[in-house]
Amino acid sequence: MSPMAVPIADYVGLSAVIFFIGVAGVIVRRNPLIMLMSIELMFNAANLLFIAFSRAWLHNAGHIFAFLVITVAAAEAAIGLAIVVTVFRTSRHVDVDDIALMKG
Amino acid sequence: MPVHHVMGNEGNYPYLLALWLLPLAGAIVNWAFGPQLKSAAGALGSAAIGVAFVATVLMWGAATQSVPSTGGVNLVGAHQTLFSWLPGFDFGLLMDPLSLLWALIITGVGFLIHVYSIGYMDGDNAFARFFAYMNFFVFAMLTLVLSDNFVGLLIGWGLVGLASYFLIGFWFFKPSAVAAARKAFVLNVVGDVGIMFAIFMIFASVHSTGFGDAFAFAGSYNTGWLFAICLTLFIGAAAKSAQIPLQTWLPDAMEGPTPVSALIHAATMVTAGVYLIARCAPLWSQNQDAQMLVGVIGALTALLGAILGCAQWDIKRILAYSTMSQIGYMIMGVGVGAYEGGVAHFFTHAFFKAQLFLGSGIIIHALNNEQDVRRMGGLIKTMPFAFVAMLTGVIAISGIPYLGSGFFSKDLVIQGALQHGHPWLYAIALITAGITAYYMCRMLFVTFLGQYRGNVDPSDLGIRHPELAGTSAHAAEHDEVHAHAPAWLMNVPVGILIVPTVLIGWLMFGGENSPWAHFFAQQFPHPALPAAPISETLTAVIAFALVIVGIAIAWARYGVAPAQQNAVERLRQESVRMPAVLTNAFYFDYAIDWLFVRTSQLLGTLFGRFLDPQVIDGAVRETAFSAQWLGTLVRSFQTGLLRTYAFLLVIGATCFMVYYAVAMGAAK
Repeated sequence: MSPMAVPIADYVGLSAVIFFIGVAGVIVRRNPLIMLMSIELMFNAANLLFIAFSRAWLHNAGHIFAFLVITVAAAEAAIGLAIVVTVFRTSRHVDVDDIALMKG
Repeated sequence: MPVHHVMGNEGNYPYLLALWLLPLAGAIVNWAFGPQLKSAAGALGSAAIGVAFVATVLMWGAATQSVPSTGGVNLVGAHQTLFSWLPGFDFGLLMDPLSLLWALIITGVGFLIHVYSIGYMDGDNAFARFFAYMNFFVFAMLTLVLSDNFVGLLIGWGLVGLASYFLIGFWFFKPSAVAAARKAFVLNVVGDVGIMFAIFMIFASVHSTGFGDAFAFAGSYNTGWLFAICLTLFIGAAAKSAQIPLQTWLPDAMEGPTPVSALIHAATMVTAGVYLIARCAPLWSQNQDAQMLVGVIGALTALLGAILGCAQWDIKRILAYSTMSQIGYMIMGVGVGAYEGGVAHFFTHAFFKAQLFLGSGIIIHALNNEQDVRRMGGLIKTMPFAFVAMLTGVIAISGIPYLGSGFFSKDLVIQGALQHGHPWLYAIALITAGITAYYMCRMLFVTFLGQYRGNVDPSDLGIRHPELAGTSAHAAEHDEVHAHAPAWLMNVPVGILIVPTVLIGWLMFGGENSPWAHFFAQQFPHPALPAAPISETLTAVIAFALVIVGIAIAWARYGVAPAQQNAVERLRQESVRMPAVLTNAFYFDYAIDWLFVRTSQLLGTLFGRFLDPQVIDGAVRETAFSAQWLGTLVRSFQTGLLRTYAFLLVIGATCFMVYYAVAMGAAK
């Protein structure tokens, strides 16, 4: 007997949709701010799954991992925004396709 | 720590140290202060050797004294430990009758040759350098014969080779002298390496390099191992003593000044191989195969040297081949076990061969460096003293009974070969004695009898390359014999040498009761031998008959009046018809060239042209190229575009997802 009103498959389906919206955002958009936001979407898709399975299996590990992911997401956002700001200061506009300093 | 076996009476012997170090001091002073010393360099160098000789004589008593205890191997002699180079490895000097004998020859004959050199080298630009080298040689040779261990012996062995190299190439402006010096050095190093391996093997067995330890163990070596030790030692002996197949350097070594030929390449250094085998008699006595090998090589060298001596025109090369041949006798003697005989022949040979060389030096000096006997002749009238010197030498080397010292020692060797059970070597030795008489008399007759031919055109005498035969072109400018009298400095040493050349052999007269046998009574092993099938007297008669035949043939070809009358034509005929196999010395040089020099060069080419640039460098280069290629390939993925990376990341993640989906599906 599941303790949940909504079946787990729905959570998985919603998470997959959110995740692929995030993936599409990262791949197709050229604005780094939008890309960072898309990455947040992917993180949150993962968090949704952690919480959903945690609830479904009555196990706390999922909660803990969700907090970890939130922490990493915050750190990632801080570093990503810092890079974006720095790039904006030097080139006055931000387009990831114009930044290819690491080309081999 | 292994037990060290005593050799000789331990003690302090100031004379021993003095005789060892005085020549070194002479060398250093001559080397350092040569320009200041000027002509005094010769006197100084000679004095150093002369005093060393006196010290050697003063060592006689100690060197021949028996060791009271019976713990050691060598039961006679004087021993002084000098220092330890490693714990348990003492370096010391050992003087027993064997090394005493060598030291007497080195310093005694060496002193006479030094004095002679003052006259011979007079006016040379590098007068002091010559005496520095000569003194250095004497020091090195004394190190060789006085060392009480194999390492010291090898050091001396190497140093005499170095001194020989210096002195053969003394006239370094002559390309032929430089080539000869290099050849001698390289061939001698082959021998040095042989001895080195022998030392390794001895050390592996007894954990010591001392003679005492090595010989005390003599009966306990594995037979094959002992044969290997003897073989490698003999490689050293063969290189130094010009035995087949390492003999080719000796005739070329005659490029050096004549006193050098007399001291190093006749009397002392080339007999080092004889010393080595006599010194290692305890080892050889334990191994029949090694004895056989050395005996056969010695006999063959004696025969080969004698045959080649018949085909030479250069007076010094004739003597060089005779030296090779006589050392063959010595090696055969010590090889078969007749140690007293082999060493006796060294002893007499040192005198008569030094005398022959110094006598030829008088001629060469008087004729402005002419060495080709075809351009001599009739010198008996102008140089009677040189004739007497050469005649007594020829009598001694030919073995005319009782008239020369060579007779006694050669008979000891020949009879020794028979007595130790080698009839074939006995036969070869007898035949060689006949050939020896022939070619030595040939040299004597062509040089001294008939008319002087120095003014004859070289090509009329069959001399194809005058520039190769001494400095004939220079001598040809002089029409008359201008045999300027040699300085007394040159005549006196030769005159003194005549005495032992004629008389010293009597020491060996009397078989078991001779002074010679008494001198070595405690030195060498004396196994009981069955009586020889041919008595000593009969051997002497056979040998003398063959010698007479040899002399008769030489007389018929070069001595008789008709031969003298058209000597020019006869010599030309003989030169032209000389078989190529003899003029090329049995092609040993070619064989060595093809077997070793060319194969080394081929190997060098293989490594230099192919293996190194293609395989070794190639491997390095190909590694570098593949890394570069791989780098180029991987670089193309690094676009620097963030969205590309993200896209690839997604593709990768998708691949994982597909894989797990399939794997899960399969698992179900």
